[in-house]
Amino acid sequence: MIKITDLEKIYRTEDIETVALNKLSFEVKEGEFVAIMGPSGCGKSTLLNILGLLDDPDGGSFVFNNEEIAHYSESKRAQIRKRNIGFVFQSFNLIDELTVFENVELPLIYLNMKASERKEKVEEVLKKMQVMHRRNHYPQQLSGGQQQRVAVARAVVNNPKLILADEPTGNLDSSNGNEVMQLLTDLNEQGTTIIMVTHSEHDARYSHRIIRLLDGQMVLENSLI
Amino acid sequence: MFRNYFKIALRNLMKYKFISFINLFGLSVGLACCLLIFTYIRYEVSFDRFHKNADNIYRVQRTFNDPETGNMSLELGAVAPPFATLLENDFKDIKNITRFIPNGPTPLRYDDKMFNQDDVYWADERLFEIFSFDVSKGNPSTALKEPFSVMLTEEAAKKYFGGSDPMDKMIRMNNQFNFKVTGVFKPLPGNSHFHPEVMVSFSTLRDSAIYGEEQLRTNFGNNSFYTYLVLPEGSDPKRLEAQFPAFLNRHINDGGPYKASQYTALQLIKLTDIHLTSHRDDEIEENGDIKRVYIFSAIALFILLIACINYMNLSTARSVLRAKEIGIRKVVGAGKNELITQFLCESVVICWIAAIMAFIFTWIALPWLNSVSGQQLSGDALFQWNVLALILIFPFLVGIIAGIYPALFLSSFQPVRVLSGSLKVGGKSISFRQVLVVLQFSISIMLIICTAVVYQQLKYMQGKSLGFEKEHIITLNNNVALNENYTAFRNTLLADPNIKNAGRSSRIPSGRLLDASGSQISRGDSLAPTKADIKVVSVDEDFIPTYGITMLEGRNFRKNSAADTSSYLINEAAVRVLGLKSSQDAIGMAFQYGGRKGQLTGVFNDFHFESLHQRILPIVFRQSVGTDGYGNISVKVSGTNVPAALAHIESTWKKFLPEIPFEYRFLDENFEELYRAEMRQGSVFTIFTGIAIFIACLGLFGLSAFTITQRIKEIGIRKVLGASVKDIVFILSKDFMKLVLIAAIIAFPVAWYAMHNWLADFAYRIDISWGVFILAGIIAAIVAFATISLQAIKAAVANPVKSLRTE
Ligand SMILES: Nc1ncnc2c1ncn2[C@@H]1O[C@H](COP(=O)(O)OP(=O)(O)OP(=O)(O)O)[C@@H](O)[C@H]1O
Ligand SMILES: [Mg+2]
Repeated sequence: MIKITDLEKIYRTEDIETVALNKLSFEVKEGEFVAIMGPSGCGKSTLLNILGLLDDPDGGSFVFNNEEIAHYSESKRAQIRKRNIGFVFQSFNLIDELTVFENVELPLIYLNMKASERKEKVEEVLKKMQVMHRRNHYPQQLSGGQQQRVAVARAVVNNPKLILADEPTGNLDSSNGNEVMQLLTDLNEQGTTIIMVTHSEHDARYSHRIIRLLDGQMVLENSLI
Repeated sequence: MFRNYFKIALRNLMKYKFISFINLFGLSVGLACCLLIFTYIRYEVSFDRFHKNADNIYRVQRTFNDPETGNMSLELGAVAPPFATLLENDFKDIKNITRFIPNGPTPLRYDDKMFNQDDVYWADERLFEIFSFDVSKGNPSTALKEPFSVMLTEEAAKKYFGGSDPMDKMIRMNNQFNFKVTGVFKPLPGNSHFHPEVMVSFSTLRDSAIYGEEQLRTNFGNNSFYTYLVLPEGSDPKRLEAQFPAFLNRHINDGGPYKASQYTALQLIKLTDIHLTSHRDDEIEENGDIKRVYIFSAIALFILLIACINYMNLSTARSVLRAKEIGIRKVVGAGKNELITQFLCESVVICWIAAIMAFIFTWIALPWLNSVSGQQLSGDALFQWNVLALILIFPFLVGIIAGIYPALFLSSFQPVRVLSGSLKVGGKSISFRQVLVVLQFSISIMLIICTAVVYQQLKYMQGKSLGFEKEHIITLNNNVALNENYTAFRNTLLADPNIKNAGRSSRIPSGRLLDASGSQISRGDSLAPTKADIKVVSVDEDFIPTYGITMLEGRNFRKNSAADTSSYLINEAAVRVLGLKSSQDAIGMAFQYGGRKGQLTGVFNDFHFESLHQRILPIVFRQSVGTDGYGNISVKVSGTNVPAALAHIESTWKKFLPEIPFEYRFLDENFEELYRAEMRQGSVFTIFTGIAIFIACLGLFGLSAFTITQRIKEIGIRKVLGASVKDIVFILSKDFMKLVLIAAIIAFPVAWYAMHNWLADFAYRIDISWGVFILAGIIAAIVAFATISLQAIKAAVANPVKSLRTE
């Protein structure tokens, strides 16, 4: 599903150049659950953003679903992104002005889905995430765990093939964290590919494979299966 | 998808109440100004369009010019009486033709109902064939046919006859002639360039006691007959106009050295163009002005622009607060276009809300604006389909104009940056915002300067010495019935110590100088014609002392029972155009004016007979040969007891003219009225300038609040390091004040150019002084500084520990 070769990302500010990704190569197959670990600043988020087509690499190749997309335009990337990829962030990133229902509905709106169909899908996923009773609340009225479940609901509502999660449990206590990890595992079992950045060895154990980064390079790749 | 956009637009509106208030208030006031101007323009361009024939009706106009230089000396909207018949005979193209003469205030009486009736017109029955009148009683095709017939509007009929049927009743004019009522008509609407109240049959003028058949056929000198003709659908008036010079030469032959077409010309003007574009010397009523339409449109658009800039500035400044939302939307699949659409939707929604508020504002402001501007726009004008369509469409356009920049700016945020919190709003966006602030303040400063100059000119005109004493002069309409016993009338007047003097004249100052004839002056032993264009006023021997006009040389008219008809008095301007070396040289010189021989006996000072829009023209005073030349009586009263003086004038009038209603005017009020258009322009300017500055300041207030919030940490650190409140206010205001300075530098030349053009309409005008510019700059700077300080002081006195902890 994903194959990157010699991927590079360099941040240039006025006087310093930061090599965030240094000729990184690896492959993720469909249906895999991959964890990415490494010390702070090693390039994990940078990698995830590129894999999520939010950012473009400075060099190397990025093949997504057999398509070379390293140099796609922003609008083309947005097209692929909205059909294939769901995101979960450490800080939930829900829109404060929209209700739970409206937040989850958002990706479907951008897919130009009919309102009735949207309602059905959103309610189905809200039930699954056990936040149906909160559908008309605003994000600030929910607990962190509930917010993250809403975020996961939003990430999966359009049945993406790939879910990218950047420290999804980072802001949660352990019981809420485990619940979210269980949700991701369930999704993975239903066939969704998941790539997750985490600092927690405990969470990493939910995955099939761990990629360890240091200074933008892969230092270790160990499979748990 | 749009529902989602509207929802978030409304929620944002509620969440950021202060910003929303600034935006909504500014945009709604801006739109209200546009709406007001739009209804005003709609009204102005609708003039005379209600006539069924409107597109094919033309007015025949006449100009006089110097045959040598071609310089215009007189531009008239009316022509001489013979033209109507001659034109119709000579040009088969003319389908119909009519003419009328507004008669001026006319004493009319029925039983004990006696009024000085305004808007009495001599008109013929073809008026109804050409113009669309609504005749409610009588037969329009015959009512004005017979001599001594009269038609009235419904209101006028009520005035004279109360509830009873006016038909066939007799109305007495000027206590001399009886007219039979043959019809009643509905008055023309406000958007007509003429408004007859009473129409007396034109055929009456054939009576030699009134004007005479012969005069109608041959008098090419009396150009007071407004003549309208109908051309066939689609025919070109230019083609007809091209034949006018030959036509004039064919019919006018005065034996002089020039052909008629060399010194006079006829033109056609389309009926519907008269109100906005015609500014002849003798317009029937005060016309509108296309220039005023442009000026007001520009001001309305300026205010709207300022409001749009507020929206742009505040939306982009607020972007920091919305960055997260934008990032998330992009992450879940929004493309740039979808975000642009969303933000445009938001601005359109806000503009629509503003439009509804604008509609209400306009509704409330309309009567008040009418009173300031002298318009007669009714609230109904707002409920026309095209006004309502405008309210729907215009916000759409404005929303897109105001929203496009914020939309492009916001939609280009990179989600990675935004969500990782590393977004810095700065660089380019700030400098563009600064350009917009400069633009707002340039407009505001320009408007301040314009307002100040308009008022300075007004003050100058009202305060300028006119060269005679205009105070405490009461003017009356003379009446033929006074001719025989005027001396007794005057003596009775002067018997009261409150009455200082009284004199008669054909025209009074504040009116126009439109009468002129050819003149001859002695050259060697004989008289030779001059090329001088000298206006004539018939005055009696008391006129000059009544007005306190200064005799520079020679003497006033002799005071005896017979008129001193061989004496001519001229002003200094006439001395110059006659080519005389000095005023002394003029005295005793043989002079002929309009065929009457005599000599120059006096020179008086150049005084402002007309408004200050006009140059001082060469004038000759002569005495009237008959007694009918004096249409006006001017009475100088003492300033100590004007009511007593007035009471005495009235009782004297009633004694001598019991059949004629008493009516008077104060001369200085006449002069005030000459500048009414400018006075209104001044008040409208002031209002709009105030609104513009207020909206600009609201925007600045919001913007500085944002900028200062962004610098809150810097302020904290500076305070910790020992900066005083004063230092911090200075630091925070400095950048904005720089912008105001730049705005002033841009505004100065633009305002100078605009006002230079505006002043060109006045023959006597102020010089634009630098003081006005400096003052406008200082006002803008003070207002801007006060606005920013409100925010800056709040930030500066805040506890630095708090602001540092928030980081
Ligand atoms: N916009 C940027 N401009 C400059 N440098 C950046 C930018 N974003 C990231 N970097 C740098 O690139 C490197 C990788 O950053 P990245 O955010 O990928 O780290 P990370 O592994 O996700 O760290 P953490 O575990 O703390 O989230 C870091 O050295 C960071 O300073
Ligand atoms: Mg990270």
